Amino acid sequence: MSLCYSYTPNYFSIEDILVTQERIPSKFLVNVPKLGKLNPSAEENDIKQGTALDLPFWLADPLSFARHPLISIELPRVYKEAYREILKADATAVDLHKLGLYFYELGLYVKRLDPRREVEAILLHTFRSRFKELMDFADDVVCDPVKQNRLDMFERTLFQKAHFSRMQLKSWLNNSEMRLEAATMVINHKKRKRIDVDDLF
Amino acid sequence: MDTVENAEDVQSDESEYEEIAHTAAEVLELMEEAWLNEKFAPEILPHKYDIVECLLGQISHVEENLTNVGNDDLRRSLHQMELDRLRYLVSSYLRMRLEKIETYVYFILKQEEERSQKGEENYLNKNELEFAKAYMQSLDQHFTDRLHFWPGNIPTEWKNQLIIPNIHSFVFMKAKNEIEGVMVSHVNEEEEVVDLRTGSQILISYSNVGHFIKTNQSCLI
Amino acid sequence: MYGESACSLVKELDRNRGTLPPYNNELIGEVEKEICHLIQQNVADDFKAHEDSNVGAGLDYTATIRTRHAIIQRNLRCLLAYHYNRLRCLRTMRWEFGSILPPDIKVNLSHAESNWFSKYSSMLATYMRSIGDDGGVNLTIDLNPPKALYIEVKCLVDYGQYELSDGSLVLLKESNRYFLPRAECEDLIRQGVFQHIIN
Repeated sequence: MSLCYSYTPNYFSIEDILVTQERIPSKFLVNVPKLGKLNPSAEENDIKQGTALDLPFWLADPLSFARHPLISIELPRVYKEAYREILKADATAVDLHKLGLYFYELGLYVKRLDPRREVEAILLHTFRSRFKELMDFADDVVCDPVKQNRLDMFERTLFQKAHFSRMQLKSWLNNSEMRLEAATMVINHKKRKRIDVDDLF
Repeated sequence: MDTVENAEDVQSDESEYEEIAHTAAEVLELMEEAWLNEKFAPEILPHKYDIVECLLGQISHVEENLTNVGNDDLRRSLHQMELDRLRYLVSSYLRMRLEKIETYVYFILKQEEERSQKGEENYLNKNELEFAKAYMQSLDQHFTDRLHFWPGNIPTEWKNQLIIPNIHSFVFMKAKNEIEGVMVSHVNEEEEVVDLRTGSQILISYSNVGHFIKTNQSCLI
Repeated sequence: MYGESACSLVKELDRNRGTLPPYNNELIGEVEKEICHLIQQNVADDFKAHEDSNVGAGLDYTATIRTRHAIIQRNLRCLLAYHYNRLRCLRTMRWEFGSILPPDIKVNLSHAESNWFSKYSSMLATYMRSIGDDGGVNLTIDLNPPKALYIEVKCLVDYGQYELSDGSLVLLKESNRYFLPRAECEDLIRQGVFQHIIN
């Protein structure tokens, strides 16, 4: 509708739930009896101290971030030095989608694991260097799917918003009249119906 | 005879119009400002129901007068057009507030409660407040019903996980009079204090200027 | 893996943005089962740890209990997010479809959701009636700033008789074009009955 919210993750946010589903390298500091199920590759009943696992961030975070941590976690490899160097060299050349669906947002969560704040710097650097291209690309009437596929989820959202407003501006400049449209959900509903009908034949 | 009388009728209407038009212009200006502020501010602002009601009163007044004017009269079209714009302005303003109320309902009601306790003016109008309470209650009910399967006490921690407006989002602000001592924060966490001249504009984090909007020293554009 | 079903619920909404997928009773049942199971195990282990510590021996279950607790919280978050976002979607539908939903959307709602929808409809109506002192304002129209008084529209369905606000009747037929006051058309455009024609 008319209001434009700046995106901030919240408890009910679908995006944030998906971001925190990403896994990060963890190592158990203590024995955890009975929860062997957490380790899909072993059939043991317990988790032994020293076991290394990639745990989803939602689990790794509360277990590592407490007065008595049960696990220690480290930076996922895409935020480590080798990858940071690549991004520093030319962030626009990187297929960010391949590095992680939620490169920026997971980065914001794990940046605290790097006290030298280089992760923070590389997030900012990456975003800045790619932003201009992203905006140019949103100006194009026809979207190039190859370019779109190289964006991480956050960039995709930005791209879609930018592209949409660009097209709106264009149509307004062309005939200075906004077309009154059917409500989004009504359109979706109609599309669905059409698909259902197609299925019948 | 008839036609003469009619002409007089219209005439007296016309003069009445002039009078309204004068004050209406001011009301309209205030409404437009309130609308823009509400549109661009990330959080809900103190309500402007006095303006809303005034404008609604004028709308129905003009509407009443219009019923006396013939259907194919040009003036009717012009006034109708103007009415549509006014109605859009009012509805859009109220809709935006409603959307904020729904999105941030727990947060807003908590703030309103704190305001009442401190004896401060509420930001929501009485009817909005009622709506907000009913809305929150309906969410509560829906969730609690869903969690009836929970062994032991039904968790309520989620109520503390408020959805909070991002007051650090950036806004374009225009100073309505001289403002001294506006804090501008930079990326490197340094802060700078600037003074704004009347009419000057600035792109700035809302958190630094929210109170200037509420105290009517500046507006969002 | 724990929390998998709960996450699938949320993914389902993510895949179906802008529509409302059928209420997934089955998956919700699985999430509930996982939550109950974890809580019961935690209660049992907590009890056992107490007993053991009285004897001065036994395993330390703190780590296990804490881990399970984190998993329970995650399940809860996904479950609530699923329900919350569905309500938000219903809310938007109230604004876009009006107070009566198309039957094929209605079947996707749970019983509680249908109830919520009518409750929302009526609280919105109460609020709209309370604005001003002239019987209220309908906020679900006037959604776009007006540009012209009359607009050209094409009718997409055989709608039948439609009464304009001045009382005159128009017969709306599929693929006919009409030149009507904007205010009269807005609702029908949003419901997909009319298509706005711009030259």
